[in-house]
Amino acid sequence: MIDFELIPHTADIKIRVYGISKEQLFLHALQGMFHVLGPTALGCVYRNDRLVCQSYTVQHDIVITALDVDSLLVDFLSEALYLSDVHNYIYLDMKMHIFSDRQLHATVYGLPVISFEIAELKAVTYHDLHIQQITGIWQTDIVFDI
Amino acid sequence: MNIPRLTDMIRISDYLYEIPTSFRSDMNVPARVYMTEQMYHAIKDDRSLLQLVNMTTLPGIQKYAIAMPDIHQGYGFPIGGVAATDIQAGGVISPGGIGYDINCGVRLLKTDALISDILSDLPAVATALFRAVPSGVGRGGSFTCSLDELDQILLHGAHQLVKQGYGTQEDREFCQANGRMMYANPELVSYRAKMRGIDQLGTLGSGNHFLEIQMVDEIYDDATAHAYGLSKNMATIMIHCGSRGLGHQVCTDYIKIMHDAFPQLVPTLADRELIYAPAHSTPGKNYVAALSAASNFAWANRHLITHAVRKVWHTFFGQSASVATLYDLSHNIGEYEIHEIDGVQKQLFVHRKGATRAFGPGRPEVPTPYQSVGQPVFIPGTMGTASYVLAGTSQSMIQSFGSSCHGAGRVWSRAHAKKRVQGATLRASLERAGIIVRSGSDAGLAEEAPSAYKDIEQVVTVMHETGIAKKVARLRPRVVIKGE
Repeated sequence: MIDFELIPHTADIKIRVYGISKEQLFLHALQGMFHVLGPTALGCVYRNDRLVCQSYTVQHDIVITALDVDSLLVDFLSEALYLSDVHNYIYLDMKMHIFSDRQLHATVYGLPVISFEIAELKAVTYHDLHIQQITGIWQTDIVFDI
Repeated sequence: MNIPRLTDMIRISDYLYEIPTSFRSDMNVPARVYMTEQMYHAIKDDRSLLQLVNMTTLPGIQKYAIAMPDIHQGYGFPIGGVAATDIQAGGVISPGGIGYDINCGVRLLKTDALISDILSDLPAVATALFRAVPSGVGRGGSFTCSLDELDQILLHGAHQLVKQGYGTQEDREFCQANGRMMYANPELVSYRAKMRGIDQLGTLGSGNHFLEIQMVDEIYDDATAHAYGLSKNMATIMIHCGSRGLGHQVCTDYIKIMHDAFPQLVPTLADRELIYAPAHSTPGKNYVAALSAASNFAWANRHLITHAVRKVWHTFFGQSASVATLYDLSHNIGEYEIHEIDGVQKQLFVHRKGATRAFGPGRPEVPTPYQSVGQPVFIPGTMGTASYVLAGTSQSMIQSFGSSCHGAGRVWSRAHAKKRVQGATLRASLERAGIIVRSGSDAGLAEEAPSAYKDIEQVVTVMHETGIAKKVARLRPRVVIKGE
């Protein structure tokens, strides 16, 4: 099973994310969001088109309550995007402490970024976002406004 | 849901098609799209027209949901979408109908220099501008302010910066809304939004934002060009950017606020990005206050960039060299406006997402020197083609709530553009054509290649032929400055 893939979109960036559980889908969505920015960071290299880092030096707790699991994912990614924008970090790993369809408490792990290669990410949108299980795999599309 | 096909539409003219309410049972009004049959083929396989139909479901929408000829798929509204709601009759306000880059817009500066007289200076001027105006992902500018000072900027927009010694009174007078929306309330902008924007004033950002030195190479309407102060071979400077991270966060915040305030609406929406609030509700009014503050931030942003450009210009061409704002026009914005509907003057909330005002002669919102000719409308093309100055008309007031298109409109995805175009090759070909490029990366340049966009000539022709806006002048790029 792949973690995420880029899907063509005329004006913005769209990814399709997969997970064997909803928690893993959230992790892959986090990784996919920062992947599309093409970050360069000390101690990280690209292997098979994925940024692999030796260790993470920063962490943040994220607590979200939302209407449903789709909103939960948008709010979670929006919070990570806010933290990234303000601190110039990327987050590529996480530990989920509490998770249900309407609530989560997670610690995200990341590191400072030297540069972003491709695009500024304005926001995470709800457009086309629908978390569903297809043949045992959780998946959704996510469109980022750039 | 079905995507409308050409056979589902009524052809009103060569440039205007209507999707009737019979197409889908939840449509409150018809949808109208300004395009040619050839342009239809560029969007028929994506979701642009489906998103246009979704717009018609907004409560209180008046006359039609409208799409401009640069329509392309977005989220919620398509890019190029215009919708007006009657706020006295249950009309609603939708943040997704304006978008995340609140008050993204274009400011055009006119100079007293002829391009032919400054050609040899342009490479050095380009380098100086690239250094003076930060561009690219998240790059903060040299302007710093405290949170209290930021609140004053959110409240007063470009006015506050003039007070602080940046730019001129004339710069702000030639901004849409005079560079300040009166409903702004900084207390309704979140701390998160303020933190995302506080170090970004005076910066371009990335994506399709740019700074260009251009040459007026064609005048189509002498009288209007004269009123705007444009003449052939004049050097102009165009600035395209928005409200940066602050505006993005305001939209994110209020979409969540409205989802949480009206959870019963969410399952009924054709697209969750179309969440709305009644104009008279607290979430609706609060959003307008935050939207206004973010809009003021965007005007302040373009105002500071103007200040930086002016400093560079004076360094090269002397303190007496003139750099004056012709107009500053928003293309992601929502405003209360008076429009005539079936002979009755109504106060509407007009959403424009990737669309601009194009008010005709006589409207009080048009600056006094342009009252007799209509407001300036800017349609930027690509870095290798041309941009256009048009004038708003009385026809636009009848046809499109006084609105025009805002650009060429993408046809290729960014990934596709990068596959098809080598940034270094593009840079070389632009330089061969006499266009100097300063940009952060070749990849970013390739994403914005001219071939990734519709033909600007066709888009402008649709606006001109329908009478929505009349061609005034064409501007050819000579220096292009872009972010990543």
